[in-house]
Amino acid sequence: MNFIRMILWKEFLHIKADKLMVRLITVPVLIQLFVIGYALTVEVKNIPIAACDRSNTPQSRELLSRIQRFDRFIFKGVFPETAAKELLYRGEAKMVVIIPADFSKEILDKEGSAVQLIADGQDANSSKVALGYCSMIIGNWARHKLEFRLTQMGMDIKTLIPVEINIDILFNSMLKSTWFMIPALAVLLITIVTALLTGFSIVKERENGTFEQLMVTPVKSIHVIIGKAVPFIIIGLIEMSVVMLVATFWFKIPFRGSLVTLFVFALTYMISSLSIGIFTSTVTRSSQQVLFLTWFILIFFILLSGFFIPVENMPRWVQILTYINPVRFFMVAVRDIFLKGSGFTLLVNELRTLLIIGVSVFSLALISFRRRVG
Amino acid sequence: MALSGVRIYGIMRKEFKHILRDWQTLMIVIAMPLVMMFLYGFALTLDIHDLAVMVQAQPDSRAARHIIRSIDASDMFAVISVRRHIVNPLDTIRKYHSKALIILPADLDRRLESRTSPADISVYIDGSDPNTGTLLRNMIKPFIQNSLMEYLGFDPPKVVRIRPYILYNPHQESALFFVPGLMALILIMLSTLMTSLTLTREKERGTMQQLLISPLAPSEIIIGKILPYTFLALLDAFIILLAGHLFFRVRVQGSYLFLALCTVVYVVSSLGLGLIFSTVAKNQIQAIFMALPATMLPSMILSGFIFPVSSMPLFLRAVSRIIPATYYLECIRGIILKGAGPLLLWKPLLALCGIGLFFIAVAIKRFKVRL
Repeated sequence: MNFIRMILWKEFLHIKADKLMVRLITVPVLIQLFVIGYALTVEVKNIPIAACDRSNTPQSRELLSRIQRFDRFIFKGVFPETAAKELLYRGEAKMVVIIPADFSKEILDKEGSAVQLIADGQDANSSKVALGYCSMIIGNWARHKLEFRLTQMGMDIKTLIPVEINIDILFNSMLKSTWFMIPALAVLLITIVTALLTGFSIVKERENGTFEQLMVTPVKSIHVIIGKAVPFIIIGLIEMSVVMLVATFWFKIPFRGSLVTLFVFALTYMISSLSIGIFTSTVTRSSQQVLFLTWFILIFFILLSGFFIPVENMPRWVQILTYINPVRFFMVAVRDIFLKGSGFTLLVNELRTLLIIGVSVFSLALISFRRRVG
Repeated sequence: MALSGVRIYGIMRKEFKHILRDWQTLMIVIAMPLVMMFLYGFALTLDIHDLAVMVQAQPDSRAARHIIRSIDASDMFAVISVRRHIVNPLDTIRKYHSKALIILPADLDRRLESRTSPADISVYIDGSDPNTGTLLRNMIKPFIQNSLMEYLGFDPPKVVRIRPYILYNPHQESALFFVPGLMALILIMLSTLMTSLTLTREKERGTMQQLLISPLAPSEIIIGKILPYTFLALLDAFIILLAGHLFFRVRVQGSYLFLALCTVVYVVSSLGLGLIFSTVAKNQIQAIFMALPATMLPSMILSGFIFPVSSMPLFLRAVSRIIPATYYLECIRGIILKGAGPLLLWKPLLALCGIGLFFIAVAIKRFKVRL
């Protein structure tokens, strides 16, 4: 125990001595938090849109005015077809609506009139969302027209389709991106701080040649590992708390779960992330290599964690790969604790998996560390 | 002192030896774009499909069976379980991680037949992920309505049909979307990081002083040290394009020459940024902690690679205007997807040149001051 305390003391001195280092692990974290909080929005807004009205009838103008009024679009105006397409090519419009010449006649037919939507597909996600918005506006307009026509014929849509559908959005009723992303950001920060800094601090001793000195003292490998790990566990927990405070007080995200659950999960998770740091330091020789290797591993884990691409969207075999990814399970847990208020009973699978992964990675790291020392 | 080709060549040779000797780093530099490419290629599927839906329904209800069948038949949704009775919708969604829960009333068939009063259907949506939440909110109501109209044999006139047509990436292939983004990301990460590391390493080991007292001019040292990394970064760009061509059928619509020109300008401005960091950082770890957040985060998040810049608050939109990756992305997306040339892309290219010149000028100035 005495050894551990001494190594801990030494590690804290290291961290304290490196003033710039301290600043570097705190300032970017805060900047990231705010930038990501505001930037990671899946909502698509301010889409420049142009129209081409070949019909130019009251009906077509009515439809276009609905599109014009929609607050997610910036309406560029009505143009002849070539001019509208030119705007699209130059990137000044992201979508063009083309209303056919016989629009007002065709909408009375059984098959209806075909409105063409041309979208700029360079940004696949935005174009899909923009198409969705426009289809929704046109669909609503069409339904409105249909209902109007049915009433004129003395029929009521309510008796033709006698159903009332109520939609209730749970956990994040305003569908805000920040509510989903900021808690996940805590996961990323903890991962980066613990995995990268642990790796650095061990490899730095090797670079400076002090590692051998440490090893000839009566201190055991496990003491060194614990001594190296604890400061970063503390830093990780502090960073998580900061994220939580900013999330609750600045972004006004409700924390619906229990702090105990969150911290138990964080500690369990850190077994894995610290072990990654220890492991990378045993197979590398310089800080640069630690960085590249850790980054390499983390980019895998983060991309396959569901951070911004849901795991359910991935192909089956990629999904199977994610079962060994600790970030994935911690991510699910943090989001569920935060937004859904889930407790241990609902998250028992995640906790068990994290524990199994943690113990496995730690054993691997310890074996690798001992071999390296020996 | 005039720049001397021989002296620059000498530094370059030295730097190449450093690179070649550190084969682990070299491997990662070459393998990283490939691995990231495959990872993004398979993981970055933007189309949402098979959202998990739970249904409460009576097993003998014919209308309910029809709805469940049409949900299962759609690409968008998949029924994960049908229950006779669900007590607490919140707990059910929490426990089974379903994205939506549809409660069909027990008297659904009777109400649909009698048509006197409407049947009440409730839908609970898990809104924690706003992306799928928005999709469900917009889709689920028309979907159930259509399914019921089909069941009731009611076929209203269509009024308007929508014919969507997507330009530049008609099949919405994710490769066409991520290859340009990945190029922007990997190039800036490598160039900025590697240059800042190589100079701080000399500083850390004290060999910088030795270089400086030699007859070499500071600009010669810088140029000689930068060129090998320019070469390495361009090699990476080539690897990404080649792999994109071979494995993901990414075809460059525009001119390769113009693509190469934009890439060189981008790489040089990234190297300039790396140089600035190297004059500030005292050791390699500090250099890493400056270069990583300064390159990876903005290039990935504020450049429009994944998240649309137009949706961000005004302040961040302004920030994205000073990030090289924003302009580079505009250029290469234009070249690769649209086949655009200098006529259309001179503005972003000019902006990129401006940023690059600024970085290099600041770097040289700082470098001289520190002597």
